[in-house]
Amino acid sequence: MKSTQYSEKTLEHFRNPRNVGMLEGDDVAVGRVGNPVCGDLMEMYVRVKGDRIDDIKFQTFGCGSAIATSSMITELVMGKTLDEALEVTRADVADALDGLPPVKMHCSNLAADALHDAIKNWRSGTRLEPLSAETIAEAGRGCGAGTTQAAAIQGAEDYAGKGVYTTVADVSELADKRVLVLDKGVASARLALELTGVTPRVVFLTELDALGLPDDLAGEVKRSDVKVLFQSRLLAVRGEGEVEKVLIHDLDEDNDYELFVDAVVLLEN
Amino acid sequence: MLSPATEVYLDYQSARPVDPRVVGAMQPYFTERFGNPASLHAVGDRATETLERCRADVAAFLGATPEEIIFTSGATEANNLALIGYARRNKRSGGHVVITEVEHISVMNIGKFLEQEGFKVTKVPPDQYGRIKPEKLRARITDDTILVSVGWASNEIGTVQPIDAIAEMLRGTGVTLHVDAVAAQGQLPIDMSAVPVGLLSVSSNDIYGPQGVGALYIRKGIRLAAVNMGGGQERGLRSGTENLAGIVGMAAAARIASKEMSAEAPRLAALRDRAVREVLSAIPDSHLNGHPVERLPNNAHFRFDGIEGESLLLSLRDEGIAVATGSACSSKTLAPSHTLISCGLLHEEAHGSLEITFGRFSEESDVDRLMESLPGVVQRLRRLSPLYRHK
Repeated sequence: MKSTQYSEKTLEHFRNPRNVGMLEGDDVAVGRVGNPVCGDLMEMYVRVKGDRIDDIKFQTFGCGSAIATSSMITELVMGKTLDEALEVTRADVADALDGLPPVKMHCSNLAADALHDAIKNWRSGTRLEPLSAETIAEAGRGCGAGTTQAAAIQGAEDYAGKGVYTTVADVSELADKRVLVLDKGVASARLALELTGVTPRVVFLTELDALGLPDDLAGEVKRSDVKVLFQSRLLAVRGEGEVEKVLIHDLDEDNDYELFVDAVVLLEN
Repeated sequence: MLSPATEVYLDYQSARPVDPRVVGAMQPYFTERFGNPASLHAVGDRATETLERCRADVAAFLGATPEEIIFTSGATEANNLALIGYARRNKRSGGHVVITEVEHISVMNIGKFLEQEGFKVTKVPPDQYGRIKPEKLRARITDDTILVSVGWASNEIGTVQPIDAIAEMLRGTGVTLHVDAVAAQGQLPIDMSAVPVGLLSVSSNDIYGPQGVGALYIRKGIRLAAVNMGGGQERGLRSGTENLAGIVGMAAAARIASKEMSAEAPRLAALRDRAVREVLSAIPDSHLNGHPVERLPNNAHFRFDGIEGESLLLSLRDEGIAVATGSACSSKTLAPSHTLISCGLLHEEAHGSLEITFGRFSEESDVDRLMESLPGVVQRLRRLSPLYRHK
C-alpha cells in the first residue's frame, strides 16, 4: 500500500462515519486525545450501563484516517464490556479498516487511545471540561513539530510537587533520581546537562528526530551521559502517590511503552 | 569444538555444579539406604530418621526450627506453596498481595495467577539500582493486604533488598512477609531467628546441591492451604513421596554452605570486583547495572551501548565462555528483562545486558579469559551496529 493510499473500507468510513456526535448524562464517560504533530483531536463519548458500552459517539477533528479510525472503533466496541474494550488496540482498528498507510499509523490512529482514555476517566471518576475555543484553534494549526503542552500530559498536574517539576531552582533536589526532562528548547537541554552532575540517569525526551538545539549545545548533549529519546511523546505520568513511571509514545514505531522514572521536568516556556 | 575442560563458566546463577562432597553424601541413598519414610518397616524408619536429620540441617542453615521446614521440588514450588497457599488460606483476612517489580519470574507469574483467582496484586517499583525502599512498599499496604513478597536479592542484577527493614516495618501489622531467598542463600547470612520473616523459599542447587529439591520455611503459627493433593506428606502441605537422596544432598550442601560462606563470599566478591573494574575501564560506554555496593558478592551485571545481548552471548560462546543476558529464565522470550526495565532502562538498553555470576569453582584465570575476549567482541559487534556512534 502506498503511503498516501487508503483502503476502500477506510474511505467508506471516512465518507460515511458511524456514531458521530456527543452524549450527555451521569452515565457518560469522555475521553480526549490531542496530537500536536498532526493536529488531530479526538473525543469519545461512552455511555456505560452495567460495565458495558451501551452507546458510543465521537467527534474528531483531523484527517481521513483520524475520522475513519474513530468511526471504526465505535463499531468495534459497541456493546462490549469496558475490559473487553480496553483490549482493542490501534492495530485492531487498523486491521478492521483493511490496513492504514504506514505514515498514518504513526499519527492518525489515536481512536483506541481516546477510547481507553474515556474508560480510564470513567473508572477514576475524572470529568473532562468542554474544550475551549483556544484549544481548538491551537489544534487546528495542522502538522508541525510543536512542543508538548504540560496540560496535554495525563496526570502532569496531579503530580505537581510529587515528582513533576516545572522549575528546578537547585539540581541537588534531584540527586540520584531518574529524571526525565521534556524538550522545551535550550533551557531544558542545559538543565539536562547540569543534572548529569548529580544523577547517573537523565533522559531527554523530544518529539523531533534530531536535536533541535544550537550546534554546540547539541554536541555537548551528544557527548554527555544524557540519554536522548527522539521522536517520543510524553503521554502520561503515573505512580502511587508520587511519580513512578511515565507513558511514552514512540512516534516512529507507533507504540506506547512505560519508562520507570522518579521525576519529570516540564519547564514552563 | 571446544572441550568442557577449556570452557569458562560464568553463569552460576543459572545452574551450579553439585559439590563433589554433596555427591558423596548422596551416593548411598540411591542404593543401600533407599526407602520411603511412609513405610512402617525398618527400611522406612531409617528413611524417616534420615529425612528428619536433613530437616534439622536445613533448619540450622536458616536459623529455624525443624518443624518450620517443608521440603519441595525446588524454589518455584516453594514460591507457589507460599503465595498461593497463603493467599487461599487467609483470604478471609483480605484479598490484596504486594510483590515487587524485581521478583524472579516465578513470583511474577504466580502474581498473575493470583489475579486470575480474584486477588489484587500490586507491584512496588525499585529505584534505579533495583532496590525497594521500605516506605514505598509501605505506601501500597492497605487494610485489605495480607501478604508481601520480596526477593532477598535479585537473581538477575544481584541487588540485595533491605529485608531487615522491610520485615521490621511489617512487624505487628498482621501482614505476612514472604521472601524468595534463592539468589541470596549461601552468599548472605540468613537467620530466621533474628528477622521476622513469615515464609522463605530456598533451593538446593543454589548452594551446590542437586537440582529438583528446595524448601519452604514456614514460621510457627502461619497457616497455608496445600496446592497439590496426594498422600499428605510434609504435614499435608506437600504431597508426594520425599526425594530422599535429593534431600540428603540439600542438607549436605547446607552444612557446607554454613561452614564456608564466610570465607567464600569475600573471595567471590574480589573476583567480581576485579571483573567490574576491568570491564568498565577496558570497554567504553559500558555500565554496571544494579547497586554499586548492596549487591550479591558473585554478581556483575553490565550493559554496553549499541549492542544486543544475544549476539554478545553467542560471540562469547564461540570463545568458550558461558554467560547470561537479561534474565536467564526469560531468554526464550524476546521480552526484555522486567527487572532491568523496572530499574528505568529502555528496551534497547536492557537488551544490551550481560550477566556474569561467579561461584565456588571460579578462579582468577576465568577473569583473565573473559578480559581476553570481551573487549574485542564488544568492539566487533559495535562496528556492525547502526545504533552505536562514537561520541
